[in-house]
Amino acid sequence: MGIMDLFKKKKESTSDKKGIYAPITGRLLPITEVPDPVFSQKMMGDGFAIEPTEGKVYSPVSGKVLNIFPTKHAIALLSDEGHEILIHFGMDTVALKGEGFETHVSEGASVSVDDLLMTVDLDAVRPKVPTLITPIVFTNLNEKTIELQKTGPVTHGEANILEIK
Amino acid sequence: MEKNFKIIDETGLHARPATVLVNTASKFGADISLTYGDKKVNLKSIMGVMSLGVQQGAEITITADGDDAEAAIAALTETIVSQKLGQ
Repeated sequence: MGIMDLFKKKKESTSDKKGIYAPITGRLLPITEVPDPVFSQKMMGDGFAIEPTEGKVYSPVSGKVLNIFPTKHAIALLSDEGHEILIHFGMDTVALKGEGFETHVSEGASVSVDDLLMTVDLDAVRPKVPTLITPIVFTNLNEKTIELQKTGPVTHGEANILEIK
Repeated sequence: MEKNFKIIDETGLHARPATVLVNTASKFGADISLTYGDKKVNLKSIMGVMSLGVQQGAEITITADGDDAEAAIAALTETIVSQKLGQ
């Protein structure tokens, strides 16, 4: 098997991936620990959160980009399995009006697990907002819930972080 | 029935007010939509509302169809005004 075969095989399996993978490298927390009741009380839906140690957001699913907020601090995705997922980077980041945020995908784009969606300048953003803690919300779970399989240090692309029950 | 509003909140229709609005709308049986410019979304879908990216100064229209449409519009008006979201 040549080196090119190895790369080819990896790409194919990533785009077929089902399930939810960690979108950000940092500290994985329950959504109840997000310091904003809109998220901690699951008003938009259940989910989880990550306190980033790296300013990069990768796709947690295979699917497509539903919407990128004009202020670039949030992205909405629709997974191939039908989950609507909102990634909201930090709290009160809408007020930054896009400064410090760079997006790498467009609305309507297809994404695979671990595709880079956006880059954030953590050093520029951190002093301007109460927290970088990023909730990842599933807005159409209906009666189902998210059960985290672990908390603490997590790396983007990591599998088996949660179960949907 | 429908009603127009102007968004006065500095950060527009962002996460927090959008959630409150969607939760209010979801209590009613009527079909409720939010129109902004040429885009119309289901006001019971948080994703739909947030995807509009409604900014301060925007003019929006809320439309309700169904038995409790009137009550829905009244409740949504109350939410928008009390949240200082719009007028």
